[in-house]
Amino acid sequence: MTRTHLTRRQFTTAAAASVATAALGARGAAAQEYGPAELIDAAKKEGKIVYYTADFTEPEQEIIKAFNKRFPFVRVEMVRAPGGQLITRIKTEAAANKLLADVVNHSDRGLMKDIADLFQDYRPPNADAYRDDVQVSPQLWPKTTLGWSIAYNTELEQKPPRSWMDLCKAEYGPKKIGQVIAPSGGTTWTRIMFERQTFGDDYWKKQAATQPVLYPSGAPTADALVRGEVSIGVLLYNIAYMKKRDGAPLEIIFPSDGVPLNYYAAGVTKAAANPNAAKLFLNWCMSEEGQAFHIKELGYLTALKKPPFNPPGYDPAVIKTWAPNFEQYQSLRDAWIDEWNKTYGYRQ
Amino acid sequence: MAADSTALGADIEPLTGSYEASQRSARLRAAGRWLWSAGLLVILGFLVVYPVSMLLLGALTNTNPVVDGFATFNLSLENFVTVLANPNVHLALINSLIACGGGTALAVVIGLGFSWIVVRTNTPCKGFIAAVSLVPLFVPPLVAAVAWSILASPKSGLLNTLLAGLGIDWRFDVYSMPGMIVIFGVYYAPYVYMFTASALRNMDPALEEAAEISGATALSTLLTVTFPLIAPAIISGMLLSFIVMLGIYGIPAVLGTPGDIPVLTTYIFKLTAWSPPLYSTAAAVAVILMTVTGFLVWLQHRVVSARSYITVAGKAFRPAVMNLGRWRYFTLGLAIVYLVIVVVLPTLALIVAAFRKFLFIRTMASLFDARQYSLIHFERLFDNPLALRSIVNTIEVGLITAVIGGILSFAIGYTIHRTRLSGRKSIDVISTLPVAIPGLVIGVAYLWAWIGLPGGLYGTIWILALAFVARFMPDTIKALSTSLLQIHRELEEAAWICGTRMLGTIRMIVLPLARPGVIAAMTLLFVLAIRELGSSLFLYTSETMVMAVLLLDYYEGGNVGITAAFSLVQTILLGVLIGFAHVLSRGGTDTGVGKAG
Repeated sequence: MTRTHLTRRQFTTAAAASVATAALGARGAAAQEYGPAELIDAAKKEGKIVYYTADFTEPEQEIIKAFNKRFPFVRVEMVRAPGGQLITRIKTEAAANKLLADVVNHSDRGLMKDIADLFQDYRPPNADAYRDDVQVSPQLWPKTTLGWSIAYNTELEQKPPRSWMDLCKAEYGPKKIGQVIAPSGGTTWTRIMFERQTFGDDYWKKQAATQPVLYPSGAPTADALVRGEVSIGVLLYNIAYMKKRDGAPLEIIFPSDGVPLNYYAAGVTKAAANPNAAKLFLNWCMSEEGQAFHIKELGYLTALKKPPFNPPGYDPAVIKTWAPNFEQYQSLRDAWIDEWNKTYGYRQ
Repeated sequence: MAADSTALGADIEPLTGSYEASQRSARLRAAGRWLWSAGLLVILGFLVVYPVSMLLLGALTNTNPVVDGFATFNLSLENFVTVLANPNVHLALINSLIACGGGTALAVVIGLGFSWIVVRTNTPCKGFIAAVSLVPLFVPPLVAAVAWSILASPKSGLLNTLLAGLGIDWRFDVYSMPGMIVIFGVYYAPYVYMFTASALRNMDPALEEAAEISGATALSTLLTVTFPLIAPAIISGMLLSFIVMLGIYGIPAVLGTPGDIPVLTTYIFKLTAWSPPLYSTAAAVAVILMTVTGFLVWLQHRVVSARSYITVAGKAFRPAVMNLGRWRYFTLGLAIVYLVIVVVLPTLALIVAAFRKFLFIRTMASLFDARQYSLIHFERLFDNPLALRSIVNTIEVGLITAVIGGILSFAIGYTIHRTRLSGRKSIDVISTLPVAIPGLVIGVAYLWAWIGLPGGLYGTIWILALAFVARFMPDTIKALSTSLLQIHRELEEAAWICGTRMLGTIRMIVLPLARPGVIAAMTLLFVLAIRELGSSLFLYTSETMVMAVLLLDYYEGGNVGITAAFSLVQTILLGVLIGFAHVLSRGGTDTGVGKAG
């Protein structure tokens, strides 16, 4: 009995010690991954942040929900607007000393670089784990990474295209391919820049010959694809992924001849009323857990040097990813978009 | 307000009193007039002139006045030259005029026809027809267009799937100019209906009776007496629906884009949504739009002011109801067909979209597959805390807008139409200005104009309400003017002779008679405020999110299901509130007519 008793006591003590160690370890890990305990305590006191984003409402809402599972004491109030409108709002608010945002997440790194002085010095705890070549300013970080893909309606398309060059084949026309117009924003500009720089000056001409249906943004393109208005859609992976995840008759492929990537720029504003909660939010988003959630649940990619998870069909060791040269991204934009509009007969 | 009882240009001499008292009274009256006009002009200056100046400044420069300051302006006509030289802008302008012109013609036919059926015939179930004929008004244009694209898209439209199932080769194509015209006409017919039904209800039937006695047929009486008598209402409804159509983005964006039919609003939206945005160019295009609509407003003024339209005078009457005999079932049939086409089918399409997991429907059998339906879109919608907050904010801002806008518009409408105050022409012109400016562009002008004001207006519900009051002031004043123009001056004069002062006359005579118009105008303002998207885009914050913005967020996110679910919630909410206002309005009509007698 005594032996048993001792064993039980020993076991209880050992178990308690293990739990305590695990808890301390977790806290230590949390401190390491999401910021020091002081930051978390201060964030708790602030209790909320105002978050400006150019990304879509639905995925952002899911990200906020996942963040609140770990940090339920920070309420995230979101303002979502298309890129151009968001920048106008930020600039005007800042000029009037009424910038309400604590955190900004924007799809156009060029525009964000222009207003980098509105952001305070910030580095996530795992800053070194990120690629160095995608930052346009030390204050701004690639919280969100998007990759282009080709999606198709499985009910309508039996022999789907596998590459960007396939999209030039006559069998995928006329009006079978849906795609977003070049001037719609930074992400589409990245894609058409990739097409021309990778496949040559005549790629647009060959692709336009298939008479694709042009849409003003990714959302109506994805909607048209699901409804069967078009059978193939050139889409950002995350837009198609969420529809597929929810059961839409879609399949998505990463083209064998390259995946153009678009990195967002996110930062904590100097005017932030809740700087600690803001940093905690970004720290979590940038953490391995946060990025894994982005990828696994919502179909984003990541700028981490070692991705915690890769979406099905996306193997960075095999697939060639492509990111624009930032100087060319700025300098070629107007002329090339103008040329694209003419080639595709898009009236500007 | 102390002087207002003797102000407002009443040119009735006092019946008694000494010369000095009369002089004092005249001085007070003059001061009161001056104060009243100045007060209104100051309010209009803040609400209209200041933001419109920002817009014009934007069109003439390439700067953001708040960011760059006023010192760095380099005024030039470059934006106008660029825009006017662009053949695509010409095409967009022509397309806008064709789509909105055709839509207006159809809206007049439908709206006028329905108001006549409801008010002046013995068609059965009139109350029901009257209520549902207003339903399209509550549906946001974006959602209306989405619903019709679900129904009549040439490739995957439900109606076309049905036709294919029946072995019929003909297809509906809503992605076309005729398609856009039909949708515009159908959805903007309620504007014409609201104006003409109110006028028909308040019309003295004496002239119609005279025509009948003189041997005129019912049709000829209708065309030569009834409709000409309510011409101001028809013209006002027509003008308003045309102008509102010109500023609509949702319908041409959803239906015109796949058919490659650009219009001015889609062009302007592109300019504002680009990265970087080209607001100055957008402002220049908006100025072109302002010129077109400004011309139309001027034309309407000319037409209305050239004739007398007084039909409500100081005697009791009840508009005659025409006995259609067996034809009343035909008019009922027309109403039912209209309801099915305009209300039932799009609503069904929305319900299908809101409850169906995905909108891929290849055959009619798939449409009725119960496994494809769920509550997931509603669950996701209300899982978002912003949804509930946006509903509360929207109702709050709608009510504030309707009350403040209603009072201000009545004050302006009365000043313009019932007084001879100096400055009333300027008040008329300034208060009409916002009608011509697309919401997408004026939204940023409001932001530029008001963000720097002390007092913390930015970030509150009030800044949205003020923007809506300013933006929809012309619509509200037009709606009120129809009622005010119809009231004969003899009724007010009778009250003054009896010693009632101006405010008392307004309270006892004008308001009761104009009550249906006032409530209709406030209801219209409430509906417009709840649906308004363009001017909200820059003024809302995380705490003042409104439904229209959240709806656009969901649409832009590519989720038609949640968009449809939220639209249904919005429609039901509006339906309940409008039903309440309709009951109030009906009570007002009875009371008003009774008192007039």
